[in-house]
Amino acid sequence: MSRQALSGLRILDLTQVAAGPYSTFTLGFLGAEIIKVESHKRGDSTRGHVVPPPHQFFTYPDGKPGPRPWDQRADYVQRNRNKLGVTLDLTMPEGKAVFLRLVERCDALMENFRAAVMERWGLDFATLLKANPRLVYLKMSSQGNTGPERNYGSLGYTMENIAGLTSMTGYEGERPLMTNETYPDPVAGTLGIGGLLLGFRYLRQTGKGCFIDMSQREVTTGLLGDAVMDYTMNGRIAGTMGNRHRAAAPHGVYPCAGDDEWVAIAVENDAQWAGLCRALGDPAWAHDPRFADAAARWRLQADIDRPLGEWTRRLTKHDAMERLQAAGVPAGAMLKGKEVIHDPHLTERDFWDWNYTPAVGRAYAYVGIAWHYSKTPRRAGFPAPALGEHNHQVFGGLLGMTEDEIAELERKGVIGTEPEWKTTPV
Amino acid sequence: MPDAPLLLSDLTVLDLSQGISGPYCAKLLAGFGARVIKVEPSRGDYARGMGPFLGDLPGPERSGLFLYLNTSKESVTLNLDTPGGASLLRRLAAQADIIIESFPPGQMEAWGLGHESLAGANPGLVHASITPFGQTGPYAHYLSSEIVIQALSALQYPVGLPDREPLKIGGSPTLMTTGVSAFSAVMVALHFRDLTGEGQHLDISAIECAAVSQIHASVHAQFGGDNPMRRDSQLSRTKDGWINVGIQDSSWVEFCDLIGQPELAWDERFLDMAARRKNAKPLVEILDVWLADQEKERVYHQLQAMRSIAGPVLTVADLFESPQYQARAFFKTVDHPTTGPLPYPGAPFTVAGIPWRMERAPLLGEHNEQVLCGGLGLTPPDLARLREAGAL
Repeated sequence: MSRQALSGLRILDLTQVAAGPYSTFTLGFLGAEIIKVESHKRGDSTRGHVVPPPHQFFTYPDGKPGPRPWDQRADYVQRNRNKLGVTLDLTMPEGKAVFLRLVERCDALMENFRAAVMERWGLDFATLLKANPRLVYLKMSSQGNTGPERNYGSLGYTMENIAGLTSMTGYEGERPLMTNETYPDPVAGTLGIGGLLLGFRYLRQTGKGCFIDMSQREVTTGLLGDAVMDYTMNGRIAGTMGNRHRAAAPHGVYPCAGDDEWVAIAVENDAQWAGLCRALGDPAWAHDPRFADAAARWRLQADIDRPLGEWTRRLTKHDAMERLQAAGVPAGAMLKGKEVIHDPHLTERDFWDWNYTPAVGRAYAYVGIAWHYSKTPRRAGFPAPALGEHNHQVFGGLLGMTEDEIAELERKGVIGTEPEWKTTPV
Repeated sequence: MPDAPLLLSDLTVLDLSQGISGPYCAKLLAGFGARVIKVEPSRGDYARGMGPFLGDLPGPERSGLFLYLNTSKESVTLNLDTPGGASLLRRLAAQADIIIESFPPGQMEAWGLGHESLAGANPGLVHASITPFGQTGPYAHYLSSEIVIQALSALQYPVGLPDREPLKIGGSPTLMTTGVSAFSAVMVALHFRDLTGEGQHLDISAIECAAVSQIHASVHAQFGGDNPMRRDSQLSRTKDGWINVGIQDSSWVEFCDLIGQPELAWDERFLDMAARRKNAKPLVEILDVWLADQEKERVYHQLQAMRSIAGPVLTVADLFESPQYQARAFFKTVDHPTTGPLPYPGAPFTVAGIPWRMERAPLLGEHNEQVLCGGLGLTPPDLARLREAGAL
């Protein structure tokens, strides 16, 4: 028996780029029907160029942009799986009218524009509630729906800066560094799911729709609570501490056999220190009485790092991890990019969603879902929609429009399946 | 009409978790109204022993990490290794809606408190196990820590400078994110339960919550790109810190005016985005000279006003000066007997404007009588007997 937890929910998805699309992609795995709305004149900016420059070819399957590059660019396909896709120009009155009909037929709306965008289109929450008084509306903007910066834009990496994360990332005592990963995006995307479902609970309790105001910046600062407390309690401003730990040692990454290979090791108590000594074959240096207690080990960690690094250097990163873990020491191989796809643990836990891509005749592993439910397993993933791929299915099937009416929208340029943008900065 | 329950105020959560991820999940549930009973061993959640400490002096009620992660909860102490303690937990679980726990796989079963057993008496129970590596798989029994998860999820490898070792992202972002993720996962299960009455077991691992970050890099790498590599950050020094500046095409002329060099707008080296990319080096030099005399927060507002994006590197101290955080009253003051009143980061989002609940973290065992006598109907002599038997 297989049923999904969110079967029966239909969600209108205006989210773009990263954090929002990650939310709806995951909601799709959970069984919700997702209708992604874009304009064929603009498109989700992750669809990229209509005619991509050669230096970007690597972002397409097998390095080939194909006849419709905007439908298969990596940045687009990874987070837009599990969705239907329609186009609508929301700046045109006809586009707005169709959109409001979709709002009537959907349970929820998610978007991640700057605060004023929907207002400018005449699609503010009050207007949408008139179309559907039971609408659950999640707004996941950079800064939230209020405040002087509500219309400020951000990107994943500027978000880590303004939320405080970058100030604490960097080599010990040196200048800050950004993560290069746009770390906050999936965090806000993930929390959006909980926010939306809390909105549905409110709807069940009151019979009324609701507005959920989520600031990605505040979500990210919420991850730094202990550093905030250190400041408010002790006046200490968290700075860079490299791979070191506030109190535990040894703690860091250590070189392994091969080129740019590393193992992360964290010794957090006496039992783990004893385990480390055991794993290393109880060398004389490790039993130096100077290292007998945790505070001393923390103070003298440089003296431990050196011989420890000499030991790890002789081993592969996986060998080092296995030997240390066998001795009860927290350790992890430093995986590089695609190595994570073949990691035996993630594979055995069925983390990856393998999908065949007809255009290139091979299967790729896409990120699945991080959660395992005993009763409501995830749905099999399906590919990201081509531009306007489901216009007929949604406008005809869901809204009951005739083929003539749909053709008329197309003739007027309200909908379309061919991109009309030239280039989009990402 | 009596007030209808709002958000999670009709629910009771047993939070057996310790450390960071599980407690953060339960804190979010409490913030949205659930009654959260934190069940601690007699020595307390081990996070009570983790810094930062008030005045750098360790103590069970002095950990800033613990105080932050356990707001709006009640605390009872139960020794689950004793039959009396396990039996009380079973009685609490029979009345609970949600259980959050972070024990090593198999531990709950060893106490006779596995999901099957608890759900037998309470089929609606949503039981979330939140562990580093999950209940199954070759690493299920591995020990972990923030840096281990960052390494094994491929998150850490591309952070840092090219000729240096991979760099941990500061703080405990993956363990906190696991709490965020678990909260959403529980909300999904709760939605299903609200509709069907059925509870279920959730197996949530930090490694998978962190590996989600590879959504981008993993696809790139398979399509034929390289693994992401460490690279320097585009940060410029200002008078009071660091900033990342990105000038949109449409803002270039305005920007040249701002920095007092209008002639740059006609400089062939910088005419459009492609030219500016090609001549990034001289451009950055010009920028850096100007930025060196500026205040980062001010530049942020100036550039945003011309619809360009700038990201000043704000410290935790700067966050309190942010006009945006002030206008939204993001920080909320919480009073606590050992620390006095202190501002904490507040709600991660709001639903229908309903205020986020933010009461101080409980003292160890503060609610033993209230929960065990009030909730389970034990008498003070019962409590004394249990205490003697080591169950409390």
